[in-house]
Amino acid sequence: MKKPMMALAAVAASALFLSGCAATDTTEEATTAATQSTSTSTDTAASVSLLESVQAAGVVRCGTRDALPGFAVLDDSGEHVGFDSDFCKAIAAAVLGDATAVEMVDLETADRFTALQNGSIDVLVRNTTWTATRDGSEAATFLQPNFYDGQGMMVAANSGYSSVSQMKGAIICVSKGTTTEGNAALESSRLGLNWEVRSFDDTDLILEAFIAGQCDGWSSDVSQLTGFRSAYPEGAAALAILPEVFSKEPLAPAVLDGDTAWAQAVNWAILATIQAEEFGITSANVDQIASSTQDVSILRFLGQEIESSDGSAVLDPSLGLPTDFAYQVVKQVGNYGEIFARHLAPLGLERGVNALWTDGGILYAPPYR
Amino acid sequence: MGSLSSTSSRVPLWRDVRVLRWAFQLLVLAGVFAFIFWLYNNYQVNISKSQIQTDLTFLDNPASFTIPGNDFDQSQPVRDALVQGFLNTLRVAFVGILLATLLGTLVGIARLSGNFLLRAVATAYVEVVRNLPLLLLLTFMNLAVVLQTFPRIEDAWLPLDLFVISNRGLALPWFEGSGYVLLGVVVVALLAMWLTVKIRNAQADKNGKPAYGLRIGVLIAVVIIASGWLLLGFNWTLPFVEGRGTVGGLRLDPSFFALLVALVVYTSSHIAEIVRGSILAVPKGQGEAADAIALSSGQKMRLIILPQAFRVAMPALGNQYLNLIKNSSLGATISYFELTQVAQITVGNGSPAVPAFTLTLLVYLAISLVTSLVVNYFNRKLALVER
Repeated sequence: MKKPMMALAAVAASALFLSGCAATDTTEEATTAATQSTSTSTDTAASVSLLESVQAAGVVRCGTRDALPGFAVLDDSGEHVGFDSDFCKAIAAAVLGDATAVEMVDLETADRFTALQNGSIDVLVRNTTWTATRDGSEAATFLQPNFYDGQGMMVAANSGYSSVSQMKGAIICVSKGTTTEGNAALESSRLGLNWEVRSFDDTDLILEAFIAGQCDGWSSDVSQLTGFRSAYPEGAAALAILPEVFSKEPLAPAVLDGDTAWAQAVNWAILATIQAEEFGITSANVDQIASSTQDVSILRFLGQEIESSDGSAVLDPSLGLPTDFAYQVVKQVGNYGEIFARHLAPLGLERGVNALWTDGGILYAPPYR
Repeated sequence: MGSLSSTSSRVPLWRDVRVLRWAFQLLVLAGVFAFIFWLYNNYQVNISKSQIQTDLTFLDNPASFTIPGNDFDQSQPVRDALVQGFLNTLRVAFVGILLATLLGTLVGIARLSGNFLLRAVATAYVEVVRNLPLLLLLTFMNLAVVLQTFPRIEDAWLPLDLFVISNRGLALPWFEGSGYVLLGVVVVALLAMWLTVKIRNAQADKNGKPAYGLRIGVLIAVVIIASGWLLLGFNWTLPFVEGRGTVGGLRLDPSFFALLVALVVYTSSHIAEIVRGSILAVPKGQGEAADAIALSSGQKMRLIILPQAFRVAMPALGNQYLNLIKNSSLGATISYFELTQVAQITVGNGSPAVPAFTLTLLVYLAISLVTSLVVNYFNRKLALVER
């Protein structure tokens, strides 16, 4: 897994050095009318939105991962399955009308923003926390979070710990490449616990260290801990997740800065799943609702013709998406509740804060009109 | 007549070898510079186009993570974290180079031993270890030895009640007080020892009596360290288990131990082959001459064979040292907080990847170049001066 990514990174790095000449030439010459036609075909990043180039290419390159139970794992046939993978498919369904037109690009945690920056992926849906620093310095624009998570602590059920504040001087094991070390260090100093935070490349190594008793606690986002717990060799009952959540982790898809059209398109693909659940539209009943409902807001949302005094019309909000994108997302992938039930509920995760606003959660889509 | 011949013998500029040589050199130089400039320009353009941050301002941001086994606060800047990682790299590399040289030399000598058993064991060691990938060796050390063989902290081994051995690390008896002061005492002692050996040997050369330089030197060093210890009031502290950790003594991180052992074992197998080859490269007559003047086999090895063998071995050993230093970056996989690990963590916690890793790259380059310089210096010192 790692080797191809490293190779890709090396190629990308050398491309930084070697590829520039053509691009600079074309941007300079773009001012002259003579070379206008040739330059527009080669110069993609500067002026043409990814939305157009993705539609031209007919495939969405989605940055993801391959071994996080519930969010993105490989099934027996080598396909990506999971919550994040479904959102990749929803984006493809919205933009291209085909949920299968997606190329999953597996990324290491440390490589993910570089992959976005150098254009080897179109969108990053890889349980990535939206933070101010990443917004600012990683050239990423974060969109509607598809999962509101928080960092928690998992311990052995027989450890005697029932609260994070009891874990004085404990060894805490975390995965490298994300903000977990920082959150753990902050919590440790806040509560005066003097934790030793060890961070590993690979969750398998944490698992081994945890089983052998080298770590007292395993800290990560609660959703991930739930996934690891469900796959624990000695059974989920041998582990306990402590009640405290000590960070805010809104996991959000991200696109490259400076491409508003593409960002809006991806954003509305995510929002469509939320809005569909609010309307009670599922992949099973979407056809029936589309043909029978009289509710104008649902007809608008699904891109159906709305009869009025001066003939029928379809709402096109000019997002650059097909007018029936929401229909395609729901039909081919499902609404938010379906995606959650398919991948996260089996791990034992509750909807909690990830419920609709009408159910006491914070999922709230802007009106589609 | 004279002036005529001198003008006719003058070669025109475009056929003058000296001019042509210079012109060609300058042309190549200009080409190289143009190429580098082209690469740099592309880099700048692409970097600015993809909006990747390249400046080093992130070094002043708070690190916001801790480093196990180091006195490092999360509010210290990223710069300090990287320095700690750098020191940890040096720590494991320095100890690793010393131990690998020692073990490798012993195994290399054992490979040539007349004792069949010793020779067979050494051969098996070399052939098995040097044909394994280092990462595998390291993973094995971590998973099979540290995690599985060492006990949990609850049932830690307590040999002689001096050590605490568990899969959370090895705790040794250690002194209390400032490490720098003790280091100063040790440095003074070593200097005194070196001076003694020098002076004694010089005297021995003059009056022809046995020098005993090393013995007297070691004695003086021990006396200096012991008196320094007593005068400056260092105390022993013994480690003991408290809760789920150890208190007192010096605690070696389990990942430090795993990485050190893996590096030493792996590199020593290569060094053993270099030492064996170098010993074989010493002319046979040297050994026979040593036998002829009735040196013991230990004296023969120490005084005659090894000094000449190391002259041959030095450049190859230097390569192994460079490999060991760079291989120490594999410690990042098992949570040893060396430079690569710290760089990866600081990138994960908000530092921009490209400048952070470029900096790391340059630091490794610098360490390697300095090591090369040192090895080359000794190589020149040791090299046979032929006239």
